[in-house]
Amino acid sequence: MTDPVLRATGLSKRYGRRVALADCTLAVPPGRVVGLVGPNGAGKTTLLQLAVGMLAPTAGSITVLGGRPGSGPAQLAKVGFVAQDAPTYAGLTVAEHLRFGRHTNPGWDQAFAEERIAQLDLDPTQKAGRLSGGQRAQLALTLAVAKRPELLVLDEPVASLDPIARREFLRALMAYTAEHRTSVILSSHLVSDLERVCDHLIVLTASRVRVAGEVDELMGSHYRLTGARRDPGDLPAGAEVIEHSHTERQSTYIVRSLVPIDDASLTVEQLTLEDLVLAYLSRPVAPHRPELETAR
Amino acid sequence: MIWFTWRQFRTPATITAGALAVFAVVLLVSGNTITDLYSSVATCQSDCGNAVDAFLTQVRNGAGGTIYNAALAVMYAAPPLIGVFWGAPLIAREIEAGTHRLAWNQSITRSRWLATKLAVVGGATALATGLLSWGVTTWAQRIDSAAADRITPLVFGARGVVPIGYALFAFALGVTCGMLIHRTVPAMAATLGVYTVAVASMPLWLRAHLMPARHETPALDMGNLDALLIDQKGAMLVEPNAVANAWTVSNQTVTSSGQPFTGPADLTRCGRSAAIRGCDEWVGSLGLRQDVVYHPDSHYWPLQWIEAGIFVALAALLAAVSFWWLRRRLS
Repeated sequence: MTDPVLRATGLSKRYGRRVALADCTLAVPPGRVVGLVGPNGAGKTTLLQLAVGMLAPTAGSITVLGGRPGSGPAQLAKVGFVAQDAPTYAGLTVAEHLRFGRHTNPGWDQAFAEERIAQLDLDPTQKAGRLSGGQRAQLALTLAVAKRPELLVLDEPVASLDPIARREFLRALMAYTAEHRTSVILSSHLVSDLERVCDHLIVLTASRVRVAGEVDELMGSHYRLTGARRDPGDLPAGAEVIEHSHTERQSTYIVRSLVPIDDASLTVEQLTLEDLVLAYLSRPVAPHRPELETAR
Repeated sequence: MIWFTWRQFRTPATITAGALAVFAVVLLVSGNTITDLYSSVATCQSDCGNAVDAFLTQVRNGAGGTIYNAALAVMYAAPPLIGVFWGAPLIAREIEAGTHRLAWNQSITRSRWLATKLAVVGGATALATGLLSWGVTTWAQRIDSAAADRITPLVFGARGVVPIGYALFAFALGVTCGMLIHRTVPAMAATLGVYTVAVASMPLWLRAHLMPARHETPALDMGNLDALLIDQKGAMLVEPNAVANAWTVSNQTVTSSGQPFTGPADLTRCGRSAAIRGCDEWVGSLGLRQDVVYHPDSHYWPLQWIEAGIFVALAALLAAVSFWWLRRRLS
């Protein structure tokens, strides 16, 4: 199966005049753990809600697993979703949440759900409103995975969790994906959350996709170049400047280049994923060639 | 989904069932007393007017009067309470807490999610108000027939099938408000406001026109006057009595040419110093007519069904709006 799990073409969502997502074109290959990263308000939630059919696009199209998101029970059954802040019914017990899942999902795996709850040390008779944030997120994840989805969509699943709960949650998620080979898309405004779990990355700022691709390819095609102060025009051919900074004597560029950079006058370094993402996040929204500051 | 809707609705349903049970006991106990009092009317052979009056006086002065008024209040309060506490939070609370995002991502469409909620809670609405109205209507049957006023506006809206229509409308209104407003408390307030306007407009402006009323212009019967007023300038107001066992919509005295009669009075016959009987004779000699529009008691059930039908249709329309909004706009 090589069809993308998510394909978006010119996808846009506006609320009146406010643009939440603009002209997003993406193809997410299957079997990946996709990190969707960007600052708050960048459009991450909008993109994810479009993917699960909570929202309808204003323009463009989106298909998930070959179907229109939220188009019917069969499509809903294929996608598991944990919304931001992992909403659960405060007045219902953990066991009642599982019963809800069982009644509303044909593919529900009750044994798996109960096993997860036991592993997490959750009391089935506890009301969801009395669980900690981490436990509630785990309960929401359990509901999403026990329906046996082909794609799991998680919107800021760890944002409200303390560091320990955050690590526990991501560990549980990784254990699940390693075992079940489910495609996952999860968003975060922190790269550090995604660094260890993702093999595909989408960077979203100001309602536009800045860069998207396999983490390995991104890491292998971005470089930090340091050398004597120079204009972008003096960089090796094929290098696209993502970020630049200058001191009186020295220039530092972060560039994307599909060919290895071989220039003796520059120090070429690999980037960390976090540096790479930060470079894209700080890039101006309107793409233009950066010019050297001349004013002193 | 039915189990889940019931699970969410369990607490309000239990509270309502408890309240209905308590009220049913009160009606049962006091119903026996009323039956005992009514025996004098039931066995009356001639001159029953006095027996009826005595029965009504006894009921109204006893606990029955209090319960009668309480039942009226309950009948009018139940539909808006259902709209406010069952209808408005049904969707608004889910949106407020974000749990709709959990519910809509299970393997059922949101239309089915809404349909189940509407069916379960709407069914409970019809059942609860149906039982309540049946109990109150049965309990008050003897009083209503003795007072011959079941078609008058205040009693009409608290008996028969009309309260079921009111309640279904209030419920659907609450659901729709909650869906449009997204917040529980404002949705409750909006529900109450719109409901009050809609239901109050029935007796005030609409109900009289739901079916053709009877319009009669008999000769003015001087022995059947409610009031005869004369001011110092001689302007007169002659008010005939309302029609018995009917809802009198309008009732005035007109001249033989059809104009409302307002005097002027012949002060030599109706002046301060003149004898009252003389004034009556003079008014009686003018050839005046009573112009009365009324709904007789026989219109009671047709009006009940029409009005209940209107509110059930409005409820269905609101439900259709909810479905449309859920699919088109709430995204």
